[in-house]
Amino acid sequence: MMTNGVVHANVFGIKDWVSPYKISVLALLYEMTSSKITLPERRRLNKLILPLQQGPDLTLGQFLKTVEECCPQTAYAVKLRSMADGELKDMEYFFSTLPTPFTAFDSEAYKTSVVGLFMRHMLLAYNKLSFSQVYKLYKSLQHYYHSHYDTVGDRADKEELDTPLHESELRRGPLSQKQAEYFLARQAYLLKNDENKALRPAALQEELNNMLKFNPDFAEAHYLNYLNSMRVQDIFLSAHSLLHYFDRLILSGNEGKSNGDEGYGRSLRYAALNLASLHCRFGHYQQADLALQEAIRIAQESNDHVCLQHCLSWLYTLEHMKGSESTVLTQDSVKMAAHFCLPYLGSLDIQSLVQQGAMQGKAAHKLMDALKDTEILHWKHSLSELIEISLAQTTSIWRMYGKSTMALQQAQLLLNMSSLEPVNFGVHQNNTEAFAVALCHLAELHAEQGLYSATSEIFQHLKEQFPPHTQHSKLWMLCDLKIQFERHMNNRKYHLAEPLVKAMSALNKTEGLYRVMLSTAELHWESSSFSTALPLLLQALALARQHHLQSLASEAILHLAFTQLMLGIPEQALNVLHEAMEPILAHGAVIDKGRAMLLAARCHMAVAGFRLKGQALAVDGLNEAESYFSRLNCKERLRDVHYLQAQLHRSLGQTARSNKSAMNFRLLDQELQSPAPPVFMQL
Amino acid sequence: MKMAALCSEFGDLAQIKKQLISVISLCKERGLLHSAKWASELAFALDPLPKDNLPPEPAFTEEDAQDLDALTLAKSYFDLKEYDRAAYFLKGCCSQKAYFLYMYSRYLSGEKKKDDETVDSLGPLEKGQVRNEALRELRVELSKKHTARELDGFTLYLYGVVLRKLDLLKEAVEVFVEAIQALPLHWGAWLELSNLITNIEMLKSLSLPDCWIKDFFMAHMYTELQMIKEALQKYQNLIEAGFSKSTYIISQIAVAYHNIRDIDQALALFNELREHDPYRIDNMDTFSNLLYVKSMKPELSYLAHNLVEIDKYRVETCCVIGNYYSLRSQHEKAALYFQRALKLNPRCLGAWTLMGHEYMEMKNTSAAIQAYRHAIEVNKRDYRAWYGLGQTYEILKMPFYCLYYYRKAHQLRPNDSRMLVALGESYEKLSQQVEAKKCYWRAYSVGDVEKMALLKLAKLHEQLNESDDAAQCYMLYIQDIFSCGEQLEHAEVSTALRYLGQYYFKNKHYDEASLCAQRCCDYNDAREEGKALLRQISQVRDQVETPSADLFTPLSNNNTPVRRVSPLNLISFTP
Repeated sequence: MMTNGVVHANVFGIKDWVSPYKISVLALLYEMTSSKITLPERRRLNKLILPLQQGPDLTLGQFLKTVEECCPQTAYAVKLRSMADGELKDMEYFFSTLPTPFTAFDSEAYKTSVVGLFMRHMLLAYNKLSFSQVYKLYKSLQHYYHSHYDTVGDRADKEELDTPLHESELRRGPLSQKQAEYFLARQAYLLKNDENKALRPAALQEELNNMLKFNPDFAEAHYLNYLNSMRVQDIFLSAHSLLHYFDRLILSGNEGKSNGDEGYGRSLRYAALNLASLHCRFGHYQQADLALQEAIRIAQESNDHVCLQHCLSWLYTLEHMKGSESTVLTQDSVKMAAHFCLPYLGSLDIQSLVQQGAMQGKAAHKLMDALKDTEILHWKHSLSELIEISLAQTTSIWRMYGKSTMALQQAQLLLNMSSLEPVNFGVHQNNTEAFAVALCHLAELHAEQGLYSATSEIFQHLKEQFPPHTQHSKLWMLCDLKIQFERHMNNRKYHLAEPLVKAMSALNKTEGLYRVMLSTAELHWESSSFSTALPLLLQALALARQHHLQSLASEAILHLAFTQLMLGIPEQALNVLHEAMEPILAHGAVIDKGRAMLLAARCHMAVAGFRLKGQALAVDGLNEAESYFSRLNCKERLRDVHYLQAQLHRSLGQTARSNKSAMNFRLLDQELQSPAPPVFMQL
Repeated sequence: MKMAALCSEFGDLAQIKKQLISVISLCKERGLLHSAKWASELAFALDPLPKDNLPPEPAFTEEDAQDLDALTLAKSYFDLKEYDRAAYFLKGCCSQKAYFLYMYSRYLSGEKKKDDETVDSLGPLEKGQVRNEALRELRVELSKKHTARELDGFTLYLYGVVLRKLDLLKEAVEVFVEAIQALPLHWGAWLELSNLITNIEMLKSLSLPDCWIKDFFMAHMYTELQMIKEALQKYQNLIEAGFSKSTYIISQIAVAYHNIRDIDQALALFNELREHDPYRIDNMDTFSNLLYVKSMKPELSYLAHNLVEIDKYRVETCCVIGNYYSLRSQHEKAALYFQRALKLNPRCLGAWTLMGHEYMEMKNTSAAIQAYRHAIEVNKRDYRAWYGLGQTYEILKMPFYCLYYYRKAHQLRPNDSRMLVALGESYEKLSQQVEAKKCYWRAYSVGDVEKMALLKLAKLHEQLNESDDAAQCYMLYIQDIFSCGEQLEHAEVSTALRYLGQYYFKNKHYDEASLCAQRCCDYNDAREEGKALLRQISQVRDQVETPSADLFTPLSNNNTPVRRVSPLNLISFTP
């Protein structure tokens, strides 16, 4: 058939055809309608029908096994044998005895039911077969049947020679168009939502190649190929597949009219847009920019507002990725999306706006309000994907603000949520990026509290759910490195922390750089005079407050207090410290709590001199700090604490206690085998 | 030295002729028609041998005698395309010849059934699935014999074909090399091997027997790998060695010239070929492409009618007719004939591309894209299809999108200026001037066929206010245009002259400026400006009395030429 001068492969528009496997399914269905099967067995079989109809062709052995697991004694195999061992007329007879869906009003095979539709498809396909095709079908049925039941003895010599062929040929037969569509949809869904369950990149590639070999016109396979190549970061192949897909699509979207605007003009625009997104994902910003401009231009020329809206979304994403200011663009995008009633894009825009706002220190309540509004939108349109992202984002924002409890709560909320997708409704966990982010936050939160075994359990889970080859694995790798880095820094094992910084910068440049700056800053701070650090710290504090970053603000206060202590104004230090104490104890990490208590105790000691009351406070503080540090197993700091304790007790005249602390100090000192710092020059 | 060696190799033409005659009969006995045809054509080009110098009949063994009757019977069935019947009667024969024919019949029977079934398959997706069922059995049997080293040159060739059909390409290459070593004179094996060689490194790594036929193979390979210069050299050597009358070589040289777009040479050769071999249909589609490019309507019309008389259901004939209609701007009919060619042979690459061109003419871009895509599917290395796709998207005003396709085309033909110019134009549209300049300059350096690159480069420089570079390019452009001799339609010499005149005037080179202005007056569209410039020059000259003043106001203003443009020697240009 020719349309527009081009040969269409699918001549009759038949999406399905009869194969020996399909005959087996038909026989099973027939058996189910005619014979008596117990109720639980029937229920199990009913659940099996859809996968059997949609899935790829199975060998008879696999098929029998699947069915027998549900229902041990069925007679349909007998029917198959009668056909395979009999003559052609037996097969013809079988098809004529099938219940016709048009007459059987009260049976399950009525024409509108799933089974009825399948039967109609099969009958139609069978009736369209020509003489030689019917014979060929019969031959292949015989082969299908006998290849399972016959012994392989007579073909043994062939097997050994044919091994390279067998693997590629016999593994899976060709898929009918229906089966292929189902396969593609399934894999694409899995790639997006649960990459771990999708086929491995190489296997998927092979499957697609196979499919394209049988039907080169099956354009969707090219698109999946593109997605698959993106997984393995293969720019060459992914660009090739993407363009191939659109070259094909341009034709199929254009039925009859050669310059119809809605036909291929539309796919042209989206082709350019997709190309832009491809370059964007590979970090080719200039190329992406050019492609995007092209998409925008074509979309403008044809007044396609929806496409323009998509372009705008990509434009601000691109600007954002390039590191330039894009808030205005995003705001425009939100407005436009609202105008054209595109809820998905609109709330996506708002989410990125919130992200940008959070980075720039916008008022927290406004951000939260915006998120809440989008949330309402999500539930209204049941955009489950965005709900997940939104929860993950809230977690991140709470973490950023230093409210660990709220972050924990949001993360748990997301992790305990069941999937809302219609495809696998009720499945407990999806493996989307949002989940990965939430789990990473959870891990960090646990690490902050010193619960390292819990942290490693979380990482074990992440490793299983997002194996290293998948696209979201970078997230947890980075997180893992961060936690290790913090741990080593806390234990003052700088030599161990250093290679981690390198590893981090391999995964994420800015993160690594940030770490480098932090560690060098701390080194400087150790050596430089304290009075010069004071204005810097004040500046940091002001900045953190302005951006509502509570944990950072507390940390800055700690540093400030320490500096003041070192400068000999402990009273002032104590005042400042009181301000930070509450948030730290409420939300802070264990190490911060310990540091705060230790610092407070030292301040008390310095202020009190030999007054009893101050010393008692200091003792309490030190004890508390000791408990925090021992929870983290942070030996160097424990040693400091013990030293101070011993000093304090001695001055209070409690010799026994003093001796005990001194002994603890001695033990730790021997264990650490490094000289203690002269005075405690560190926080 | 190399020549001498070659001559000695080909010295004994009589010997070669003898070999050819014996291999012809061998191929004929086995039904290998194409190889027999090739060898016969070559043998025909050599002088006939005296009667007593004819090669002796091959030795007749006891086995041959035993199988003689069965073989004769089977061969006649085979000739009538009753392959199964032939195979049935050959079963159990033990001579090599009978064994080959037995296996070959089975192979051909499978192929025939496959072709028949393609029309009649169960479903659309199964179409690609239809395969020669006999192949696997053949492979098993042949590989057993192969390991036992019981295969002769012909059966090795068949084994290779079976492997290739099963997509076991690596093994196939090895077996073909083996087949060639066993029987170097069988051209079919060489040809099959040539289809499997993808690059020059692979070609060099093969160990092939040193036989005179290897030179034919190498020349063929060079043509396939677009190493036209080497190929022409090889063919020239072959002609000098005594094959000057071979129509095969003449057609191959013509095709090679066509590939490097040396149209006149190719046309002359094809005309010669048609004189020697008036009923030839092979390669005539290439000939028609050349006539098309040259817009030689009567010749093309004559060729088309002539070919229709010979055989109207040949792919080549349909392509020629398609070209004929296309030249007459009857694009619907042209597309129809290309479609017919594709029905006759769906793997006919040229027709897909040509059909794409026709759809482009008809402004049916989506069908054009489809056709080009098909062409690429048949052969990924078809640069014209990639180029065509690029053009299609360019027409759809997607300059960034078409870059990918032009790049692909450029990759396949790195030294073809057309792709480079197309790339440059796309970059220019995207305001990527740096890239565009690079492309144009490269296009000029590799030998610009359309003589447009320099002009475009100059205009680009002009836009960017790089007047020195622009002048340089215009100068080169003028030299280029006049040196190539013929008059080009789109030549914009006047534009170049106009710019150069102004440029020299600004830089106070009044002599050169006036020369350019005078030249301008030769062209209608620039005459007025030329005259105006001349007037300006004479005015300025009147003001500046002393020519030495020029020396004291050297080119110190902001547009001092960095690379001083050498004054033009315009006298030699005669438009």
